[in-house]
Amino acid sequence: MANLVYLLALSFFLASSVSGAEQKIVEHNMLMDHGDGHLMDMEGGMVMGQNKDKLPGGCDKISEDAQITVKAGHKYARKFPGTMFAFDQQEWRVKPCTRLTVHFINEDNVRHQWMMHGLPKYIYDKGMFHLEVTGPAKISGTLILPKEDKTYLVHCDIAQHMEKGMKGQLIVGNGSGTFPSIPGLTDLAIPDDYGQAQPAATAPVDTQPADSFLTGSLIIGLVLGIFGAPFVIRIARERFKGMTFNDFLAYVSGLFTELVNAIMKFFTWLYQLVTSRNRYLPKK
Amino acid sequence: MQKHSLVVFFGSASLLLSAGVGAINTPPASAKVELGEAEPFCNSGAPPEWRKSQVLEGVAIQESRVCDPDNPADIAAFVKGTNNISMQTLMDTKLASDALSKTNDMDGDGDPDHIIIKLEVMEINGHSPDFPGVVPTFDIAPGVQPGFWVFTPKTRDMSTTSFASAVANPLLRLPAPVIRVEQGDVVWIVVENTHYFPHSIHLHGVDHPFMDHGGEGNDGVGQTSQMDIMPGQSKTYVIRPRQPGTMYYHCHVQPHTHIPMGLAGMFIVEENRPNNWVQTFNVGAGQVRHPSVAVKEKYSQEYDLHYQSIDKELHKLIQSANDPRLIAKAMNQEYDITDAKDDYFVLNGRSFPYTLRESLIVVEPNEKVKLRILNGHTENLALHTHGHKATETHYDGIEQNPSAQITRDVYSLAPAQRLDLELNTANDGLHSYGAGLWMFHDHVEKAFTTDGMGEGGSISLIAYKEYVEENGTPKSHGMDLKPYFTKKYWERKLPVWQDWADDWGSLGQPAAPTTNPSASGNAGSAQASSGSWGKLFTGFLLGMAGYFLYLNRERMKAISGQLASQWKARK
Repeated sequence: MANLVYLLALSFFLASSVSGAEQKIVEHNMLMDHGDGHLMDMEGGMVMGQNKDKLPGGCDKISEDAQITVKAGHKYARKFPGTMFAFDQQEWRVKPCTRLTVHFINEDNVRHQWMMHGLPKYIYDKGMFHLEVTGPAKISGTLILPKEDKTYLVHCDIAQHMEKGMKGQLIVGNGSGTFPSIPGLTDLAIPDDYGQAQPAATAPVDTQPADSFLTGSLIIGLVLGIFGAPFVIRIARERFKGMTFNDFLAYVSGLFTELVNAIMKFFTWLYQLVTSRNRYLPKK
Repeated sequence: MQKHSLVVFFGSASLLLSAGVGAINTPPASAKVELGEAEPFCNSGAPPEWRKSQVLEGVAIQESRVCDPDNPADIAAFVKGTNNISMQTLMDTKLASDALSKTNDMDGDGDPDHIIIKLEVMEINGHSPDFPGVVPTFDIAPGVQPGFWVFTPKTRDMSTTSFASAVANPLLRLPAPVIRVEQGDVVWIVVENTHYFPHSIHLHGVDHPFMDHGGEGNDGVGQTSQMDIMPGQSKTYVIRPRQPGTMYYHCHVQPHTHIPMGLAGMFIVEENRPNNWVQTFNVGAGQVRHPSVAVKEKYSQEYDLHYQSIDKELHKLIQSANDPRLIAKAMNQEYDITDAKDDYFVLNGRSFPYTLRESLIVVEPNEKVKLRILNGHTENLALHTHGHKATETHYDGIEQNPSAQITRDVYSLAPAQRLDLELNTANDGLHSYGAGLWMFHDHVEKAFTTDGMGEGGSISLIAYKEYVEENGTPKSHGMDLKPYFTKKYWERKLPVWQDWADDWGSLGQPAAPTTNPSASGNAGSAQASSGSWGKLFTGFLLGMAGYFLYLNRERMKAISGQLASQWKARK
């Protein structure tokens, strides 16, 4: 008997996992109302801050009824390098006093949220409107937006989901600025360091601290300078004895030309060394 | 020899002379370092009734006399399942409504046998691209916030305690929760990977089939069993453990970093008994407030002790960038665990003094207490109990022949090993030396420090009830513990003994010298040259210049004389 139930349980599990693979979106529309705009079911679906009829201060009437559909999941991060989760849109605009219904479709197999902050607390508990569901599933909720021009933060508050891309903003009227780090819209407030171009990144960094002027090598140089200078001068005098200034210039420029030639030769040799490999490769 | 001592004598005499007569070099006086802000011993804000022994949703919950006790609503949900409790109790927790379901009494013995456990993967003390701090925060000691990854029971709503706060909600913490099931239960462990990296679960020591009935891998090992669980995906592991014991579970993706990062917890299979509702989760480990029927047959209390060690360099990586690709590169290709050293040591996710807020073992005389210990360190653990010799009853979950069981005071565990201890508080000079506040700690010396600052690490106490206040504060008789509750202490800024010996601070910190010896004067001129060859060349040029000056010294003298007279004339 026990085994039979076990097998039944397993087959149920298999059935449910197969349907999960097909990405069938489950509708969470049998929510239980717990008051204060808090609705919930036993499969992890949740709406907080639902408000279909309480007008915020300054709104004489509902200006319009609007609906948006928001999709969420890993696949929407594809457009934004450096993210892992995202909404399919990052910005929504509505008129003041709009009654907005949000249809939130989570296409991942984990929880995601469409959480809005900064609403007036006399209507919305903790100033929040919040949709949460474990995908693949859909959940819907309604709220009435206040009269003031304001930009509201919208995000998924699961640890690191906002940071890794699941972030947007809802602009009422003309809004009140923007939030940072919204994929495709605004820059990260604290940008990541991707380093230099490749060769520079591998170059050794001189980490020697700036030390005092008098180092050992400077002192050696000083000694060489003081005691070596007389010899250098003597040798130079012997070498250039009797030369005019023009002769001296000619001699120096001759030396310089030789040096340039030598360098050119070295680079030609290097180039050939690198390119010569082609000669040994079979031609296609 | 004599000659030598003469030299020393004259040398020191001349030194004395050179110091001058009036100027004795007195060492600086002690400068008192202010303590600054210290947290109170207990600031958990837990309602006092949470500590009391009580019955909630028909679940008997034992007293927990510590500063930061588990929420009784959580315990009720963990025992009955989120599907068998009232909405009010569920609302008093932070659990998702489908976090834990218990159904189906298959053998008809009065307890559910089909258990569905849902786990999520959470990052705590993680990076934010929006502000310089970390989120959601979990301090292992004052101001110490290494980044962690943990399995958590499936939660709902915000990951912080409120929108204005960055503090993690209490279910998001180190260590990953202890999971308890009953022998013979059909258990589905559903891992919903909410994290941005691949993860898995390997059930170390727990009886599980290699493949499940659906032909999917069940061992959590990517290389042999089943592809890792990708971000946003979920996977169900199906088990029906036939043997009881203290076991282990951990992520098996890049396990050399994922286990130390925190993806590891205790997994306990309780012996099958009638009407045995076990406490499926023990979040934060520590006291089991609803022990199983089999445990209660022999013991009055039960504690889970999970030891972990932390290399601060590893745990900083996730805080150093936002882009998952950069973090992956830093962890998988750059971090080298063979060059690593551990810096922090935690018991049930905290270091001393925070261990005293939640990991006291509160006992009374003549009790038998079951301790289940997991060594989650990267190295050996040598647990020592002051004032007690406990008996080793089970190794890696297997009972030792009772007549061959060993009673001792240092218990040795290799990494990943588990040990069950029977702590007997009978004051017989062997099992216990009597009532008191007795430390227990890993006796590997570095493990009672926090990044080398003592006393920290995984120290906690076996505290006899008469030595513990109602709110869980131990009535200690030694030094003031306040410095341990400051960030300054762990930043190494407080001299440990400064107020102890006397009121003038003979073991304090010497005041900093008032005059600054030069050294800064020279620095400015040497900007141009870099490297020692540059210096050599500069020196050479200076030397040449000096030589020419010397050669033409007469002319220079004349020029300078002329300049001086001109200047005078102008004046």
